[in-house]
Formats: sequence, structure tokens, C-alpha cells
Amino acid sequence: MSNQPALIKREIWEHRSIYITPAAIAIVMLLLALTGQVAISALGASVDLAMMGANELPPEAHKAMVTGFVAGLGSIFVVAMWILTIFYSLDSLYAERKDKSILFWRSLPVTDAETVVSKLLVAIIVIPLVTFVAIAVTQILSLIFASIWLNAEGGNAGLLIWQSLDLADIWGGTFIFIIALPIWLAPFVGWYLFVSAWAKRMPLLVAFLPYFILPMIEKIVFGTGFLADAFFERTASLPLFNIGDNTFAMFELEDMPFDENMISLLGIIDVGKFLSSPSLWAGLIVCGLFTTAAIYVRRYRDES
Amino acid sequence: MTSLVTARNVSKHFGSTRAVDDVSFSIEKGRILGLIGPNGAGKTTLLKALLGLTDCDGDLSVLGLDPFKQRKELMQNICFIADVAVLPRWIRVSQLLDYVESVHPNFSRSRAEELLSRTKVRHDKKVRELSKGMVTQLHLSIIAAIDAKLLVLDEPTLGLDIIFRKEFYSNLLADYFDEERTILVTTHQVEEIENILTDVMFIVDGKILLDAPMETVSENYVELLASGANAEKARNYKPIHERDVFGKKVMLFEGTDRSLLAELGELHTPSIADLFVAKVKGASA
Repeated sequence: MSNQPALIKREIWEHRSIYITPAAIAIVMLLLALTGQVAISALGASVDLAMMGANELPPEAHKAMVTGFVAGLGSIFVVAMWILTIFYSLDSLYAERKDKSILFWRSLPVTDAETVVSKLLVAIIVIPLVTFVAIAVTQILSLIFASIWLNAEGGNAGLLIWQSLDLADIWGGTFIFIIALPIWLAPFVGWYLFVSAWAKRMPLLVAFLPYFILPMIEKIVFGTGFLADAFFERTASLPLFNIGDNTFAMFELEDMPFDENMISLLGIIDVGKFLSSPSLWAGLIVCGLFTTAAIYVRRYRDES
Repeated sequence: MTSLVTARNVSKHFGSTRAVDDVSFSIEKGRILGLIGPNGAGKTTLLKALLGLTDCDGDLSVLGLDPFKQRKELMQNICFIADVAVLPRWIRVSQLLDYVESVHPNFSRSRAEELLSRTKVRHDKKVRELSKGMVTQLHLSIIAAIDAKLLVLDEPTLGLDIIFRKEFYSNLLADYFDEERTILVTTHQVEEIENILTDVMFIVDGKILLDAPMETVSENYVELLASGANAEKARNYKPIHERDVFGKKVMLFEGTDRSLLAELGELHTPSIADLFVAKVKGASA
């Protein structure tokens, strides 16, 4: 395993989108926040009224609003992270075959297993970690911008924001979520790695076609919809939360109501439930099988 | 002498095609072996088997290791340049050095830096920004900085111009080769390397046609330039190949006494390329 740091560094050199994507989103969001504040300031009197109203609200409501606002900032990063993970995984073992550099990489004393594992680690650990850092920086800077603006508009940022802010809770909750999500989606990552190692061409198409074709075949042959349900279930839910119908539709993150549940992110997260979910472990086994297949293909396929 | 490579009855099939067909040979330490064969003769497949990139039937041992099963250990003591320009195009020269330094226990960074300082390759350049010749210089600098017992070169100078090709082989001898090291090289431009080879092996249709040290090649094979009646007489000694040059006959003999032939015309040691053509045509006749 001693080669892993060098291998992971190598991946980040090659795939600069790993840090450029979250950094670009952070910059765009902060610019939007700044221009948005200027635009809102133009509304003048109504802003004063809203702020007076906000001052009157109970502390729990302040906290719920701040937590909801700050946590909500992360949602776009999470969506981008998953898209990035898909493209990264599909490219990771395909690009080296396309440009023939695989012959150079394999001329060094590094096993195929070490190489493929480094790519898996980047997909499910490094990309989320980088994304988390980008989210945390965006959150802090957004809060600072908001405070400056509030104070300039005659509001009380100390009361409205900083007293109501529990960063440890927000960052703790976001961190767990962002680490749990790729682990939950690991079977897909394993499949993409396998396709990346195996596909002769167009890995994206090869990876995505089965999502449509297999359920269709199942429907025609057996008249059932098990696969379609399984794909949907996996992508639309994450058994990490103790609210709602035991699962949490992650794409509805932005639509979460500002109710008392949102006072604490850690309060709605149930790591025990996540770890004891049989689906999680079944998914990890599937990921392991696909990863092993990817190693096997890289090792045994004759590229000439 | 110690054998670095021992192959006994090695075969590799792709479906019904026998890319490598029951070959046996050994390579001793400190030799430079040229592996010569037409395209599709099984050269690359044989090299891949030696490098553990493909599995094969039979007994194959490289540095005492099973190349396919012990590839990682093997790669610590073997270097190879497979075809040309396989260095990843996106990588920076400095990153490449960093990477090889961290994964290769026998790589000397300072040696590589020293070799590179003699070229125009700059550390902040990406591989895609370098010319083909510079990429080869970079690759050779890295390889030469690895303390490896066996260097395998598969068409290392393909697509390079003549100056770079000459430079490549002279650098190879100057910077890399010593009696502790062994080189196995395949190339189409055999005339450019025949003066550096110590051994030569011909491979055609997956079979070894000739496997001999260069000294025995000049002892066993002789080329006669003769005309008219002398050519007729010479034909009695059964040349393995015959061709016309400016109205004269050039005949290649295997194992024929030189003193018998010397009376009939001019004698030369055949070039590897001519010998190869003669052997291949002789085998198919």
C-alpha cells in the first residue's frame, strides 16, 4: 500500500477537474451571493421590514434558518461531485489505454491492483474530501459576506447569524453526508471503473445503456420491474437520516422546509442506521466485485 | 555465465494462431541481444511474455522470477521502452520524475537530472509540449537512471529521425550499458544496431530461426561476390541464398569453408539484414 500516496497524487495531476470543479463552483456561488446582495439592497424599505421581522423571531427559528441556508449552500456541490465522480471513474482506466501510456505505467513496479485501488480511493474518498473543503470555504465566506451586508443594512449579524450558527454541527453533518454518499453509491463507481477498464470505445455510452436496456429486457421477459426499482431506489435515497420515510431524497435537499428538524444536521443523521443497512454492504460487495473485474481486465487484456 | 532469461518450450496462442510457437533460448548477463523478425512474427508477444504483460505456456524464468506471477518484483529490476512515445502526454517532466522516484526503489533522481541536463528537456514542460525526439530522450534518461539488470527495448526509435536514432544508441551504450546489465532490443532498422549487438536472434512465424552470438555469425556465414563460371562453381557449395548485384552474383553460405570460396571471388561477412532475408527465404523454400 506504500505506493498509494504517489498513485493518488498522480491521479490529481492528471484529473485537475477534481479540484477545479469545486473551486469554480465556489467562486461562482460567492460572486452570485455578492451580486444578489447588491440587487436585494436596491429593494430598500422592504429589506428593513424583513429584517425587523427576523429580529422578532425566536432563537430556534434563527438557528433553523441559518442552518438551512448554510447547509443548503452545499447541495450544488454534491450534485457536481457525483457528476465529477462518474466522469472521473469512466476516464480513469480508459484514457491510459487510449493514449497507450498504460505501457509506461505498467513498466514500473506497481501492480494492477494498486493502480485500480488508487482510482477507487480517489473516486470515493479524495473527490468527496476536496468537495467538502470547497463547501466549508464557501459557507464561511458566504456568512462573512452576509454579515457585512446585514450590518451595512442596519441589521444585527451577530444576533441573526453568528449567535445562531453551530459550525461544528453543520460541518460535522455535511462531512458525514459527503463521505456516506459515495460509499452508498459505490456499486455504481465499481461499475464505471470496470467499464473504463473494459470498454473498447465510448465508455459513457457503454456504462449508461444498461440502465435503460436491462430493465426493459426484464420487463419484456419477466414482466417485472425489479431492476428499474433497484436503480431508482439506490440513486434517489440514502438510509442516513432519521426523518421522513426512513430514506432521504437527496435531490430534494434544497426543498427541505425550515422546520425544527433543521436546527441540527447531526440530529437528523443516524450513522448506526447507515452502517447497519444491509443494502449498504450488498452495494460494497458489488463494488468489490466490479473493482476486482477491472483489475483482472487490466492485467490480462493484451492491448496489442 | 549466469542466465538472466531462460525459456523452455514457451508458446502463446491467440485462438488458433500461434504467436509464439514452442521456443527455447537463454540470455546471458552482459549481452546485447537483437531480436529480429518481420511484423507479426511474435516479437512483441515474446517480449510481453518476458515482461509479465501476458501469460504463456511453457517454462519462462526472468531473473529467476515467473514474469507473469511476480511482475511487481520483476519490474524493480527490469526496464522497458515499449514502442515509442508512450509517456503520458499530460504529465509534466518534474511530475514524471517525482512519480518514478516514489514508486521505483532503484531509481536515482540525481542521475536522471544529470542526464536530462544534457538535453533541451525542461522540467516545467509537459510531455505534449516536447518533440518526439525529446520525449525519447526523456524516457531514456529515466530508464538509464534506474539500476536495472535487464533493459527491454521494443522499437525504441520508431518514428525518430536519423540523428536522434544514432544519438539514442550511442547514449544507450554510454549511459546505460555495462557488463552487469543486459539489453534486449527489437527494431526494423537492424543495420543501425548490428554493430552494437553481441547476440542476434531471428524469429519468424513464432519460431526461432537463428540464435547465435555475433562472433559465430561471422564464423559460420560468409557472402561471396562472384561472376560467370566462378558463380557456377560456387553454386556447388549450396548457398542458402543468392541475389544479383550489378550483374554479379552474391551468394550466402552457411558453414562452408572460406578457403574453398576465397578462390572464386570476394568474401564478406554478411550484414544482419542480408542474413535475415537469406534465412527467411531459405526457411520458406
